[in-house]
Amino acid sequence: MKFLRQLLDGISIPILAILLGLAVSSIFVVIAGASPIEAYQRLFCEGFGAQGCATFGDLLFTQIETETGAQTVFSPTYGAGGHSLALMLEQATPLILTALSAAVAFQAGMFSIGMDGQFVLGAITATFLGYALPDQVYALAGVVDYDSAPASLLTAMHLIIPTVCIGAAMLVGAIYSWIPGYLKVKLNVNELISTIIFNAIAIQIVGYLVNFPLRSDMNNIARTRRIDDSAWLIPFNRGIFQDIEWFSGARLGIGLILALIAAALVWFYLWRTTAGYEQRMTRGSGLFARFGGIPSGRAALRAMLISGALSGLAGAIAILGVERRVVDGFALSGTGFDGVLVAILAKESVVGILIIAPFFAGLNLGAINLQFGNLPRQLGGIIISFIILFRAMEDFLRLQFTNLWSKRRLILRARAEQDGAAT
Amino acid sequence: MPPALEMRHIRKFFPSSGVLANDDVSIEVQPGEVHAIVGENGAGKTTLMSILYGLQTPDEGEIVVNGAPAQIAHPNDAIRLGIGMVHQHFKLVPSFTIAENIMLGIEPNRAGFIDNQREADAVRQLADDFGLPVDPALRVRDIPVGMQQRVEILKILQRRAQILILDEPTAVLTPQEVSELLAVTRKLAQTGHTILLITHKLIEVKSIADRVTIMRRGRNVGTFNAADLSVREMANLMVGRTVTLRIEKTPAVPGEVILKVDDLLVAGAGGIPAVFGAHFDLRAGEILGIAGVSGNGQTELIEALVGMRAIDSGKVMFLGHDVTHDTVRQRRETGLAHIPEDRMTMGLNLRTNLDENVVVTSYQDEPFSRRGIFDFSSVRTLAQKIIDAFQVRSARVGEPIKTLSGGNLQKVVLGRELKGDPKLIIANQPTRGLDVGSIEFVHQTLVAERDKGAAVLLVSVELDEILALSDRIAVMFEGRIFAILDAKDATEEKLGLLMVGSALDAPDHAAEKTHP
Amino acid sequence: MIALLNRYQGALRVVALVVGVALIIGVLSLPMNLLQSSIRLATPYVLGAMAALVASRAGVLNLAIEGKMLLGAFIAVAMLYKTGLDPLIGVLAASIAGGALGVVFALLYLRIRINLVILALAVNLFIANATVFFLRASFGAFGTLADPSIRGLPQIDIPILRDIPYLGALLNGYNAVVYISWIMVVIVWVVLFRTQFGRHLRAVGENRDAAESVGINVTRVQVVALTFSGMLAGLAGAFLSLGVLSQFVENMTDGRGWIAITVSLFAFEAPIPAFFTALFFGLSEAMSFYLQSRPELNLPPDLLLAFPQIATIIALVFVALRIRAGELLRRQTFAIRFTQEMQKLTRGQIAGD
Repeated sequence: MKFLRQLLDGISIPILAILLGLAVSSIFVVIAGASPIEAYQRLFCEGFGAQGCATFGDLLFTQIETETGAQTVFSPTYGAGGHSLALMLEQATPLILTALSAAVAFQAGMFSIGMDGQFVLGAITATFLGYALPDQVYALAGVVDYDSAPASLLTAMHLIIPTVCIGAAMLVGAIYSWIPGYLKVKLNVNELISTIIFNAIAIQIVGYLVNFPLRSDMNNIARTRRIDDSAWLIPFNRGIFQDIEWFSGARLGIGLILALIAAALVWFYLWRTTAGYEQRMTRGSGLFARFGGIPSGRAALRAMLISGALSGLAGAIAILGVERRVVDGFALSGTGFDGVLVAILAKESVVGILIIAPFFAGLNLGAINLQFGNLPRQLGGIIISFIILFRAMEDFLRLQFTNLWSKRRLILRARAEQDGAAT
Repeated sequence: MPPALEMRHIRKFFPSSGVLANDDVSIEVQPGEVHAIVGENGAGKTTLMSILYGLQTPDEGEIVVNGAPAQIAHPNDAIRLGIGMVHQHFKLVPSFTIAENIMLGIEPNRAGFIDNQREADAVRQLADDFGLPVDPALRVRDIPVGMQQRVEILKILQRRAQILILDEPTAVLTPQEVSELLAVTRKLAQTGHTILLITHKLIEVKSIADRVTIMRRGRNVGTFNAADLSVREMANLMVGRTVTLRIEKTPAVPGEVILKVDDLLVAGAGGIPAVFGAHFDLRAGEILGIAGVSGNGQTELIEALVGMRAIDSGKVMFLGHDVTHDTVRQRRETGLAHIPEDRMTMGLNLRTNLDENVVVTSYQDEPFSRRGIFDFSSVRTLAQKIIDAFQVRSARVGEPIKTLSGGNLQKVVLGRELKGDPKLIIANQPTRGLDVGSIEFVHQTLVAERDKGAAVLLVSVELDEILALSDRIAVMFEGRIFAILDAKDATEEKLGLLMVGSALDAPDHAAEKTHP
Repeated sequence: MIALLNRYQGALRVVALVVGVALIIGVLSLPMNLLQSSIRLATPYVLGAMAALVASRAGVLNLAIEGKMLLGAFIAVAMLYKTGLDPLIGVLAASIAGGALGVVFALLYLRIRINLVILALAVNLFIANATVFFLRASFGAFGTLADPSIRGLPQIDIPILRDIPYLGALLNGYNAVVYISWIMVVIVWVVLFRTQFGRHLRAVGENRDAAESVGINVTRVQVVALTFSGMLAGLAGAFLSLGVLSQFVENMTDGRGWIAITVSLFAFEAPIPAFFTALFFGLSEAMSFYLQSRPELNLPPDLLLAFPQIATIIALVFVALRIRAGELLRRQTFAIRFTQEMQKLTRGQIAGD
């Protein structure tokens, strides 16, 4: 019973925040000359709905025409023509990881928002190794390219190359996160500001790399070579689930599985290991940790390393599983910062992240599609900023409520005493 | 002639903590009177004065100043009515000068631009009028605590306060400064000012107050002439039962030297030394009390001994090992326990539950964790053991601890620190903010540990506590350990003198004990 | 090592002085148009830093300067679009908008007690999205808002100034906002240190309890500080959109708000040092453009664009090191002197016995 109450307690404020956020944002929809209900229906349908979704109801149940006449199906599993949920999950994958990255950092009291920088550096690392490494292997094996390589070699490469790419990306991300961490621990440099700056530097570095040394063709927009097929994390709709229409249109793949595994590992790390414990106790002024003998500097740095690795992993998966090359401007996608927002909304709980990241991704996805109906996709960002605002008002709302409740109880008790004394 | 001040049927309830701080409290104070308000921590005296000064508004009740009813919703209202308050924790801006602090909010100005000359003159004039000389140009962060308090008093006199509220004014003063303050108080009372003195130092009440109001658990237990009550009677009224002012303890049987501190130099804030050549020994089975007004380096000394602060020069030997550069964890593993001054932010993590608090000093050992992974059932067992052994009330295994009372929180700290039979216990203000029952418990626990053979280093600003518990007493002043006496040779006067750095008359005392 | 530094303190000071003078001479010998660029480009940093330090001194870290700057940039252009109004009106509008946002920010933080960092992030996010939203929805523009009706700020020629050799060229001919920014530095200094309000503001920031206990309305002071801070940030934004290219571009501010905060931190929140620090950042930004325009040097543009950011990191590290070094130096000095004293004492004692 108490668990249920705790759950409700935990969910009610976020849901309230979401509803309030949507409500306030509708003002902007009106200003842009559209109808809020229509816009939101479109938004949610494009983000979470099946083909042919038009109203809120369609999100759950769709009417389809079959040979036997009209039929009602459960929308989330109705995959004809591809389902938005697949696309949403594809986009949620890196988001889950960057949110975990932020959560791990925050849990150690480090307000690092360097996920963007670690993400792009991880991405470029994975890209480069994704074509350079197979090149070497093919050269060593005396083979020209993927198509002419023997099957046994390819099997081995399919296992090893992505692993190496991912590992390298995680390493690069970890190092890039460690630097501002070190500056904070040893020199007390404010990590919020330094990570923002480091992000900008990383974006410039990647921009340079894409435009010059790693530039592949003289395309209008600079881009790198594509990763070799042996490095490719084949999405479900091209690989194992080729025939299932639900997946078509989305490059959802094993990346999601990796993200979920990462989430489980992060949860275990934070709540079941001594290292995670050290990190959580370091949060705040750090006095308690120092007092108890916890090496809080080491714990904080460890947190930054893990955080950077997670963001690097996100970048690697985004490339190896989806984009397969880095295009100039990729760095501005802001997945890292979105991860911070998700972590804040989820109060750094792993379960919360797993729920909120998909919601977030779906919202953004839906907003992009609104553009074609003349509503700028920035509406998504506007909605999210209000949701965050209302979420952050939680304490205020709670306090009002508690005050009223206690006063009420006391008045009732006083009145009861009075009645008791009167008789 | 109407009373200078009356507070009638004041009621104040704090919903956020569920505490009824003032329950139908009424007091009246005559003009020119020195009226003490005493009570334990949490008795409601500070709340009552906050209401008087406009920092809080009462739920019910009224205030009458000089016969006329008054609405005090804000300190500005109180100031306008001639009520001024000198707070326990000074409200001064460190980087401002004395003049700037005194005139804060009422700076003489021309259309918003401050007239520095007029300001300095006004302050000098004020100081002369009341016989409390100060140099207006000194910066507050550079002057001693006694002078800071003087600035605070001048601040309220500048605003023409007739009713002065002094909140625990002697808590941070040396005995010398205390008598200076009491003299000032007497003089102000003679010139027609009314003084309200909030304190829990009953001896001061006897020496300076005309009348005393005793508060207990939010109620006014009674107002008496100070001369009619003995200190013991006052104490009993404060707590509602007979209080033992001394602990029953057997004489100490000191054993081997557990801790040896040699010529310690420890830096404080900004690199300026806070501990200058501390030098003493501590043996098993004895309690060494370090007395001294707070701010004389005790905090830095403790932090250096436990490993939370770097030692610039000197040596600390613990059980024969040189631990001068050891980490906190290494010292704890050698057998050190630390009961910190601040249980809320240092001793405990109020954001989490009992289990995680209790295991912070031992989580890397078996059986609590194996290869980095926790075994929570053994943590829970430990938590339960502590709850039982130390009778921690309203605490449950796995539950958050932030709702526990001060006394129960301290019991959790004690339980954690004392399990594992530490050889050296460093207790820094272990009873600060606790009610009398909890104070008794802490004292008994410390003596019990001593009898088990532990060495106990007790730092406290409460002389009663030092005198009650210690076998030997050291006095700390300006970073130095001045004199170490046997408890039987120590009296309040002697300690008081040492606390201001004056050597005792007899030449064979102070000088020798500092450098054996 | 510290002991070494200690012994040669005097020599070190001379070295620092020489290096400082060399740097100044080096800077002054740069081409005039580069210096002029630096002074121009420093303006948003000057205004932003003033915005940051006014709020900081009042005890509230204004982390939403980036957003307020962007808002100012947008409003300035929006005001002038198709209305053909004088650019100064745009500047004024930007300032008012920034101030208004400052009030809202203050109320949300002080009254409703929203976590400062989260609030700032939400505000920055909102502004970044809302400006683009309105860009497309209300103005039908994509990425940039430009129009002949949007006049940029004209250069101001001050006759007396023009005729002074060297300094004249350095100080004359900038647009109104540049000069306003210099005036603002003076105003901020005077207000903080010579007026009653300024003293109250500093008291609130340094010891809030002290201010409260003498009846200063802390909330009001902080609201005013944040409003003024917002106005300054809005002004900075107006410079960005009207003072250089007279158009609004998505995400124009590009992190300058954060760098402005760093400038304020680096200068320990003192107006005059902040001004000079801002000039340095203006120089670094001007350098990056200048070096880009010199293809013979063959330097990659992207890395050069990161110049200001790298400079920021170095600044942050430098501040931290300075604090650390000072403390360490003092401690070591005392330690050395102390052990010497102790040795003298024990030697004396033995001799005395």
